[in-house]
Amino acid sequence: MGSFFHRHKGTTPYLLLAPGVLWLAVFFLIPLVFLGYESLQSGLFPDFRFTWEFSNFSNGISDYHEQFVRSFVYAGIATVACLLLAYPLVYWIAFRAGPWRNLFLLFIVAPFFVTYLVRTLAWLNILADQGPVVGILRDLHILGPDGRLLATTFAVVSGITYNFFPFMALPVYVSLEQIDPRLLEAAKDLYASPGQAFLRVTLPLSAPGIVAGTLLTFIPAAGDFINAALLGTPNQAMIGNVIQAKFLESLDYPSAAALSFILMGLILVALLVYAKIVGSERLTG
Amino acid sequence: MTSLAATPTRARRGLGARAWAFAKRHALTVYALLVVGYLMLPIAVVILFSFNKPAGRFNYVWEEFTFDNWIHWNSVLGIQDAVVTSLEVGLVSTVVATALGTFIALAIVRHRFVGRGATNVLVFLPMSTPEIVLGASLLTLFLNTTTVFQLGFITIFIAHVMFIVSFVVVTVKARLIDFDRHLEEAAMDLGANEVTTFRKVTLPLLAPAILAAALLGFALSIDDFVITYFNAGATQTFPIFVWGIARVSVPPQVNVVASGIFLIAIAIALGNVYWQYRSAKRTTGAG
Amino acid sequence: MTMRMTRRALVQRGAAGVTVLSLPGILAACGGGGGGGGGGGEVKDVLNFSNWELYIDIPSTRKAAGLTGPTTLQQFTQKTGIKVNYYEDINGNPEFFAKVQGRLRQGQGIDRDIIVVTDNDRFLSDYIENGWAEKLDKSLIPNIDNLIATQASPPFDPKREYTLPWFSGMDGIAWNSDVTGPVTTVTQLLEDPSLKGRVGVWNQMGDTIGLVMLENGDDPAKVTDASFDRAIARIEKAVKAGQIRRFYGNDYAQPLQRGDLAASMAWSGDILNLGDPKLKWVIAKAGGIIWTDNMLIPTGGSVPTASTYMNFVYDPNIAAQLALGANYISSVKGVPQEAAKLDPKAADNTLVFPTDDMLAQMHQNDPTMFTNPDYNKRWLAVQGK
Repeated sequence: MGSFFHRHKGTTPYLLLAPGVLWLAVFFLIPLVFLGYESLQSGLFPDFRFTWEFSNFSNGISDYHEQFVRSFVYAGIATVACLLLAYPLVYWIAFRAGPWRNLFLLFIVAPFFVTYLVRTLAWLNILADQGPVVGILRDLHILGPDGRLLATTFAVVSGITYNFFPFMALPVYVSLEQIDPRLLEAAKDLYASPGQAFLRVTLPLSAPGIVAGTLLTFIPAAGDFINAALLGTPNQAMIGNVIQAKFLESLDYPSAAALSFILMGLILVALLVYAKIVGSERLTG
Repeated sequence: MTSLAATPTRARRGLGARAWAFAKRHALTVYALLVVGYLMLPIAVVILFSFNKPAGRFNYVWEEFTFDNWIHWNSVLGIQDAVVTSLEVGLVSTVVATALGTFIALAIVRHRFVGRGATNVLVFLPMSTPEIVLGASLLTLFLNTTTVFQLGFITIFIAHVMFIVSFVVVTVKARLIDFDRHLEEAAMDLGANEVTTFRKVTLPLLAPAILAAALLGFALSIDDFVITYFNAGATQTFPIFVWGIARVSVPPQVNVVASGIFLIAIAIALGNVYWQYRSAKRTTGAG
Repeated sequence: MTMRMTRRALVQRGAAGVTVLSLPGILAACGGGGGGGGGGGEVKDVLNFSNWELYIDIPSTRKAAGLTGPTTLQQFTQKTGIKVNYYEDINGNPEFFAKVQGRLRQGQGIDRDIIVVTDNDRFLSDYIENGWAEKLDKSLIPNIDNLIATQASPPFDPKREYTLPWFSGMDGIAWNSDVTGPVTTVTQLLEDPSLKGRVGVWNQMGDTIGLVMLENGDDPAKVTDASFDRAIARIEKAVKAGQIRRFYGNDYAQPLQRGDLAASMAWSGDILNLGDPKLKWVIAKAGGIIWTDNMLIPTGGSVPTASTYMNFVYDPNIAAQLALGANYISSVKGVPQEAAKLDPKAADNTLVFPTDDMLAQMHQNDPTMFTNPDYNKRWLAVQGK
């Protein structure tokens, strides 16, 4: 059986689990219960009353469906962009980088060491309307004479892509790195072209990494509000901005709580659909 | 005549084909370098402008080079407190979260017990919840229990441990699953009891994973904005400080602190890489 | 005696960053709960003052205004021996309120003796009506007589029992003359296609809606559903057309200077503070909004210490230094004359010392607008939130 603590077989796992699970129960589950309670309240700050106010949910969807859809669309595009940008890079690192591997992995993670806000503010500098980047693009006629990069959907999605890049790159790298090179040799021996070897050996074997990366990127991206706040116009507002405003500006806690649950619910639905498509063992690993 | 005509054509095709083959072989490398350039561009800008001496209130035009900002990095009101708070919270929450997470990982991987599946799900859930929901729900808890929890350092600490634990579990679990139990069994066969075996065999072998989890946790804590934003009350961590001061103007000292954190993190990471390289050399022998 | 000592202990421990979790300690220190229990006691040796950014004189602004000597905070310490912990942690009225309301609701202090809250939003009234403001000790503020007549009796504090003005400011329009010609009307701001995507407005209802109402010919001091509808409709149109880049807080100044914004609704003092010749500011043709930031003592703050400070800044000479050093409008009598004595040139600045003509173009907001939940919801909705 290999079990160590044969004398205390029963209680050991529970003892080990207790502190951590307790922490999560008190500070993750219970807050969600509170949030649920609050989502069914009504009234104006600071006098909220519990009134089974399910209209918070229906109003949430009808008033903000635009922001919900937008959030999922932006997160989706950013996730795909991350995948397309990251895959060749990590492929190169896994198979071609040789001794420089760790250095380039460091490059992927490095942006993370500069505070999220500071990196996003740096993009504000780089992409400024009167800055060099926009200037060059205007000269090349990629942008019109009045064109700009900031305060656009492009800027917001790019910001999300940039900020969540490592979440996609690293899991994909891990799964690529684990591929036994002998499999690729075998494919070559069997007269596969490099393209075929990639499509039929490498890509499928890297699927778990792609799945993990997609989840780790999409989920936080859907709830993000910083990129939309700093890099977009009100027409780019995501559901995260709405929730943040309701909690911290209009102090409309019931509505904010309801929106939070709707967001979680939608993500869960997306997760289930995704799990169905890719097979659920890959998810919880 | 055919041979004369053929030679230049073949040479030309040879050059073109060679160039194409060269491009194909190195395209991926060029691409990789371009992407890395894209990733590092904002960071380069941040570090560069930390050495700038802005003419006015705003730091976006290069004026002149100066070390002043680095020397007087704490001359901006509130920045030192914010950095110290970030470091303190990071340290304390990382230690606690790493301990809690490691225990959970050990329990999940090494034991079969009722509720194992549910525990797995419970641990996975915070990672799959958007930060804004995590932060907001925790705020709701604190607002309804203000006699016990006042928004401030304690609530930030609680929030950070909560969201770091899941990452620790995943990291340590991955290592535990591949763990070679034979060494432990050998130790037991040689007379060590469970506790001694754990202390002298399991833990040291697990140490790199635990360290990696701790580093990850610390990085997450230092950088966290959204969850902290909801639960900090009037206390400021560095990201919260940046958000506040960005409303008016970002002084170069913010760049300095951000660059400083970055450089220290890089140094630690490089040190880790070097240490792994050295220990790999030692175990596999020279060369 | 016991109450004073436990209150002092609470403030000191709080200031040392230790969260006070002991229930008995908190209950003992709170005594009578929200609003009451304040006052009593002596002047402390530390004042904790929360304010907005760039809202007080600092060495560089003093130099620019031709003032010499230590800052007013330092002068205060020299005169009274009270050290000031000055925090620039107020970035927005709703955000700050959200940060502190939890503790205030429980009758606990927030480790501050003075905070500064704007009057053209709901929060100033909220603090007072919820009992989260301590009454001033007017016996320690003889200089209160220097308060100008127009500020003597505001709707949120008719007897000036809880608040005293810090600075007033004017809402107008600023533009970057490097990227655009003059922008002098709200209509231009919202509808001129050459400015598309480069226009900024505020995320504060009173300021933005106020200016738009004036442009519509409505009175911002008497808001009706119809006038609100008209104002919101215009802003909505501008947002949908992509005219408005963002709804800014204090942070429009940098994009404006950079040229990311061609024109923006702007506060008088901000543009002055930047001192950049290419940035111009005017009162909009239809008129402007004037607002006042007020000092307030939150629950748990030390009334004697705070009152002493308030008295200090209501001395006309000190008030003049503050006005010159922060570039905002003072509510203290005799300030223009004192300022002229300190620096004749700076005293000509009509943005800090507005003429009667300018003041005649100013209007105030209707306080009932801020607590109307429908208006609030629609205001957020127009921002995409």
